[in-house]
Amino acid sequence: MVLGATSPFAAAIGVFGTIYGAGASAVADPATIVLSSLVVFSGAVQFAAVGLLLTGAGPLAILLTAAMLNSRNLLLGAALRSSLEEPRRKRAFLAWWLVDETAGLTLASPAPPGRTLLFSGAFCYAAWVIGTAFGVLGASLASLEELVAAVFPVLFVGLAAQSTRTRDGVLRVAAAAVVSLLLAFAVPEIRSVIPAIAAVAVAMPGEKG
Amino acid sequence: MTIWLIVGLALLTYASRALALVFLPKPSPPVEAMLRRVPGPLFAGFAAISLVTSSGAATPPATLAAVLAALLVARTRSLLIILSAGLAGYSAAEVIGALF
Repeated sequence: MVLGATSPFAAAIGVFGTIYGAGASAVADPATIVLSSLVVFSGAVQFAAVGLLLTGAGPLAILLTAAMLNSRNLLLGAALRSSLEEPRRKRAFLAWWLVDETAGLTLASPAPPGRTLLFSGAFCYAAWVIGTAFGVLGASLASLEELVAAVFPVLFVGLAAQSTRTRDGVLRVAAAAVVSLLLAFAVPEIRSVIPAIAAVAVAMPGEKG
Repeated sequence: MTIWLIVGLALLTYASRALALVFLPKPSPPVEAMLRRVPGPLFAGFAAISLVTSSGAATPPATLAAVLAALLVARTRSLLIILSAGLAGYSAAEVIGALF
């Protein structure tokens, strides 16, 4: 069940991995590119790093950008924390698999959260690394980029729907979507942290009644 | 891209993932109730920002059509149905775009 739900995410991540592998060839050798996917496992951070390197940015600017992009992981971790009963050492292992998609699947799935995070994370990780390797080897899936880019919002609509059961929840979801959209148009530079800001803002007020 | 930059990115990324998951104590009931309300809005936010490019422009109409089609069937709460509807919306927009 976890693998079935993860498949569309993993397929999309694999395609983006290939695009990353091909694009990063301009700033690194093949072994370094694959190593980056093996040890970083973050599309947002890795794409941003390559983009900044191409503009001539230094390591400090890249690390600061990565820190900002990663800040949303704090919220995802906090949202997952209460559902994980595992001891600290096991949570430290599970943390490796925490990305937007696996956090979404874990929070929306009725299956045990630790197991969902592990299996969905391993599946997405394999897709990301294998995709990167294909990109480094010269595969080109640039023609699919637009279609795959459309798959992510659709899947997040699905996860939002699965996580929302009440009228109050629907209103909060709609408010977060509108706020995020407006902020993304207004300040695209902080686009990656906007969903976290909007989600916390609409989740703060308690439920009525 | 140097090895040291990759190591720095890896450490920063893992630290951000582990900080809350490993070191945060079990939240108090009010905080837990608030955190329980976060996922739906968070995913809606991710979907919404996907409709805007990093330069602040709108994504292609086909992406918007995919999301609108997905929203139409969101009440089913089925990831498969929502994904199928999204792909159908995307394809329909592409066909219409090619015709006109």
